[in-house]
Amino acid sequence: MIGFVGLSHLGIVSSVATAARGFGVLAYDPDPALADDLNNGHLPIFEPGLDDLLAECWPRLRFTSAAADLRRCELVYLSLDMPTDDGGHAELGPFGALLKQTVAHAASGATLVILSQLSPGCTRRWANRIAESRPDLRLFYQVETLILGGAVQRAMQPERLIVGCADAQDELPGPYVMLLQAFGCPVFRMSYESAELAKIAVNVHLASAVSVTNTLAELCEAVGADWNEIAPTLKLDRRIGPHAYLSPGLGIAGGNLERDLTAVQALASELGTDCGVVDAFLMNSRHRRDWALRALHAELTGASTVALLGLSYKPGTSSTKNSPALQLVRDLAPAQVRAYDPRAEADLREYPNLVRTSSALEACRGASALAVMTPWPEFATVPLAEVKLQMNGNLIIDPFGILDADQCDLLGFSTIRLGKPAPVKEAA
Amino acid sequence: MIHHHQPAHGRIPRVIILGGSGFVGQALARRLGRQGVETVPLTSTQLDLCSPNAVELLQEVVMRDDALVMAAALTPDRGKDVLTTMRNVTMGYHLAAFLQQTQCSHVIYLSSDAVYDDGASLLRETTPSSPATLYGQMHLLREKMLRAALEPQRCPLLVLRPCSVYGADDTHNSYGPNRFLRSAVSEQRIALFGDGEEKRDHVHVSDLCHVMHQALAQRSEGTLNVATGKAVSFLELAEAIRGICGGTVAIERTERRSPVTHRHFDVSSMVRAFPDVRFTPLTEGLTDYRAKLLDAARSFQEAYLR
Repeated sequence: MIGFVGLSHLGIVSSVATAARGFGVLAYDPDPALADDLNNGHLPIFEPGLDDLLAECWPRLRFTSAAADLRRCELVYLSLDMPTDDGGHAELGPFGALLKQTVAHAASGATLVILSQLSPGCTRRWANRIAESRPDLRLFYQVETLILGGAVQRAMQPERLIVGCADAQDELPGPYVMLLQAFGCPVFRMSYESAELAKIAVNVHLASAVSVTNTLAELCEAVGADWNEIAPTLKLDRRIGPHAYLSPGLGIAGGNLERDLTAVQALASELGTDCGVVDAFLMNSRHRRDWALRALHAELTGASTVALLGLSYKPGTSSTKNSPALQLVRDLAPAQVRAYDPRAEADLREYPNLVRTSSALEACRGASALAVMTPWPEFATVPLAEVKLQMNGNLIIDPFGILDADQCDLLGFSTIRLGKPAPVKEAA
Repeated sequence: MIHHHQPAHGRIPRVIILGGSGFVGQALARRLGRQGVETVPLTSTQLDLCSPNAVELLQEVVMRDDALVMAAALTPDRGKDVLTTMRNVTMGYHLAAFLQQTQCSHVIYLSSDAVYDDGASLLRETTPSSPATLYGQMHLLREKMLRAALEPQRCPLLVLRPCSVYGADDTHNSYGPNRFLRSAVSEQRIALFGDGEEKRDHVHVSDLCHVMHQALAQRSEGTLNVATGKAVSFLELAEAIRGICGGTVAIERTERRSPVTHRHFDVSSMVRAFPDVRFTPLTEGLTDYRAKLLDAARSFQEAYLR
C-alpha cells in the first residue's frame, strides 16, 4: 500500500496517478471534509483528465482523515504543496506538522518520500530529526515536476524521476524501486541537496527563458520587430531547441517559479553567492506584469469600463496565484472591470470594481476596451463581430495573440499584442 | 508604492508652499488658488530657510494641520559648487528640525530624478539612488532628513522625483525644451550637443502641479517618479520645435561634452497612483509654451514702446 499525506493539488494528482499505475493507495489529509468529498468523487481542483482517471482507479484508491491508517503503508509520500506568502517565501509550518504526524503513525521500517518542494538542506535536517525518534524509517526526497493545467500527463508520463538520498550511493528500498520502475522512465539517484537543487534548477532555467523572451519581446515592440517571426528561428538552433519556452507573457506567476527564485535569493544571501540574474528575472517579471496597465493607460482617456477575458494565471487551471489579470483589476479601480473566466474564481470583496459575467460576450457589454489576460483556447472562438456590437470602444489588448488578427483589423479594432509594435495611430 | 490616506477629491487644508516664487511653486499656487484652496506661497525673502532663525520663522507661519510643500532649492543654474550644496542642505536641515516639533497634516517634497545614477536607463522608484552630482546628493539627503523627521510624527511624506520640467515661466533655462524654445523664438536657432541622440522625458509644469494637487487631495504618501513614460531625443525635440515655429529655426550641432546616455521611466507606479492624470502631449505643451513666450514678448514691446 502506498500512502500520500497532504491532499493539495500535488497530493491529489500524485495519488490518483499512482493508483492508475496499478498500486493500492491510501491518501490522507487531516481535513475530514476534504477526505469525504474526495471519497464521494468531488475534486476540489481542476485538472484536465483528472476526473476520468479518478473514476478509472477508484477500487484501488481510498481517502482518509485518520492518520492511524498510515500504518498500513510501506511507502508514504509527503505530498503537500508548499504554500508561499505574498513575497514568494515558503511557509513550512503546515508541512512540518504533517511530517510529524506521519512519523508518529508510520509503520515500522516504512519508507518516507518527501515530494513537497523544499529548499536545499531541508531534507537532511528533517532526516536527522526523524532519526532521533524513528531510526527505523528511511527518508528520501523526490523531485515533483507537475505543471498546473498539464499535471495528469506529467504525473502519468514523467520524463525522468529524480530521487535524493542521504548518500547518493544508497540502495533504494524494494517497494520504492517497484513504484519508480512502474513509470518506465530514467531514474536519477543523487544526494538530498542535489535533488532539492535540481527542482529549483529546472524552475530557474524556465524563469530565465521566460525573462529573456519577455525582454526581447519588449524590444520588438519598441523597434518595430515581430517576435513571432523571430521565435521559430531560435527553436531550430540546437542550443536552444524546439521545446524552448519562447512565448512572451505577462511575467512569472502561479507561485511555483516565484517560490524557487526567492529560495535562490535567500540561499545566495546566506551563502554569499551571486544571484544578480535572479534579481533581474524578478524585476523583469514585475515590469512585464504591468504591460497591460501601461497599454490601457496610454490608449484610454477618462473613466472607462474594461472587459477582461481570463482571471487565472494561465489557461487550464483555476489558480489565480499572482495572476496578472487580478493585479490589473486592482490597478484599474475604481474603473469597473467586467470579467469572464471559464474556471477561476475571485473573491469579490477583495475586488469591489469587479463584475463577474457568465460569458465572454456579456463581459464585453459597454466596455471601452477588451483585455484578453489569459489565453484560454475558447477565447479564440468568441465571435468578434458580436464583441464589436457589445463594446463601446474599439481597443483590444490581446497580449498572447489569441484573437484572429485579420478579423480584428477588418472589424476596425485597434489591437495591441506582446512582441509586436502597437498600431500606429492615424493623425487627427 | 504610493498610499493614499484620503479618497480622491478629499478636503485640502491650507497649503504652505516653500519656494513660492519658484517655477513650480508659482504654478502650484495658481492652480490651487483657482480651485479655491487656501494657499500661502512663501519666497526666500519672506522666509529664508538658510537663516539661523529659520525654524522660528517657520513656527510663526506654519500652523498645526497645514499641508506643506517644499519646492525651495538652489538649482544647478544657481551653482553646482559645494557652497551651494551646503546652502541647500541647510534649508533641508532647518525644515527637518522644524517638522520634528510640529504636527503638519501632510508634507510633499519636490525632489528630482537627479537622485538616480546617470547610467540608469529605465528608472523606477525601486532603482537604487546613486547620484553622480552634488545636486542629486543634496536632494537624496534632504529626502532622508525629512523622512527621519516625519516618521515619528506619523505625518505622511510624499517624495516626488520629476524628470525635466518645462513651461513658460521656467527660470532655469536648462538644456531641453526650455532653452530650445527660448532660443528658437528669440534667435531662430537651437544648439544641440553632438547629434542630440540622448533620449529624455519632459513633463509640463501644469501636469506636475496636477499630480501635486491630486496628492494633496488624497494625502498621498511614498515616493513617486513624475514622468510621462515617453522619452524623446533632443534632436526630435528640436525638430518638433522647429515645426511649431514654422520651419524657420536652424538646428546647430556643437561639440558633445559628455557620452550619450538615455533616460526612460517606467510609469506603472504613476499610472497606478493617479490614474486620472493624463500628461500633456509634448507638441501640445510646446505649442502652448511658444504662444505664451510670444505673448510675453508682445506685451513687453507694447509696454516699452508706449
